[in-house]
Amino acid sequence: MTGSPMRIDESGHDVVALARAVTALGLSCAIEARGKLVLLLPAPESLARLAETETRRATLSLAREHGFTHVAIELPNDRRRAPADPDAPVLRD
Amino acid sequence: METSLATLEQKAVGKKEADLAAWLRDRGPVAVGFSGGVDSAYLAVFARRTLGRDAVLAIIGRSPSYPAEQWATARGVAAAFDVPVLELDTDELHDPAYASNPSNRCYFCKTELWTRLVPAAGARGFLTVVDGTNADDLSDHRPGAVAAREHAVASPLADLGFSKTDIRAASRSLGLPTWQQPSSPCLSSRIPYGTPVTRERLALIERAEYALRALGIEGDLRVRYHDDLARVELAPAALSCWLQAERLTELRDAVVRVGFERVALDLRGFRSGSLNVLSGVSPE
Repeated sequence: MTGSPMRIDESGHDVVALARAVTALGLSCAIEARGKLVLLLPAPESLARLAETETRRATLSLAREHGFTHVAIELPNDRRRAPADPDAPVLRD
Repeated sequence: METSLATLEQKAVGKKEADLAAWLRDRGPVAVGFSGGVDSAYLAVFARRTLGRDAVLAIIGRSPSYPAEQWATARGVAAAFDVPVLELDTDELHDPAYASNPSNRCYFCKTELWTRLVPAAGARGFLTVVDGTNADDLSDHRPGAVAAREHAVASPLADLGFSKTDIRAASRSLGLPTWQQPSSPCLSSRIPYGTPVTRERLALIERAEYALRALGIEGDLRVRYHDDLARVELAPAALSCWLQAERLTELRDAVVRVGFERVALDLRGFRSGSLNVLSGVSPE
């Protein structure tokens, strides 16, 4: 892992080895594991690379090799403490 | 070559439609469990055309797990194709066995649905009740099918070998707007097994998906609920676009605005039954 602290849960999947493999792929990401789901928080230049199909395929393949079935990309949320909008629209009448 | 293949496929669907018409004539009048999804919309409209208006009743079961957008579609299809509709409220959220969200949650939902729907149909003279289960569904994790069997609900599309592709092709021929509509299972399918289903969580998921549709996202879309985190699944073809920093920020802000703290975009994209894989119920 590069860039920022790694967050690890108790899933038992090999998140440390995955972090090394992702770094070896040239991606700079913080990594958080939640069971078989792994979250990548990429640096801006790495996000641009993840928009490329080949990089996505390689990342998914690495995750699978290390026991993860799902990979998702998260952007930091600067507004986490902002109040939710309970009146946001839906079609329900 | 392609034309020949297309012709063969059309003939195969035509044969299945002839079988379906015969099946319906043998057993009509029929009540159709009607969600407005691709399968039940096709079945209801085909039955209406085959049996006539008085011999078909499309029954909608309404609940907080039924997306409002789908409800609107169901009503629109029924109105456009002159299919009589009955709407009933279902209350699966008050069943602790359902709300605790076990891996056979769909069994409890469908039990509630058919327990209300089958007697309502019978009281109106509709002794045959059918659902839109198709042949592809039979290979998936579908505990709800057990409840259908227990209530003697028939699945003619599955029994006669209609695949989803067949139903889309036949729907297009009938002029149904649902022919290319993405599959849209209930909102509870966005919540991992073991995480309780609540009215608030369903509303949050529905608001998030609505907010994403408002950004112009079309096709397959799911907001998977992981407590504070929304994991968004989009059609794989849309990923390169939405992984651009500006667009991803737009996506995140839309979902945060409706109440999620954190938002992540699934790198593989939409997978039917994604949470079944995550929970180990289905293989990857």
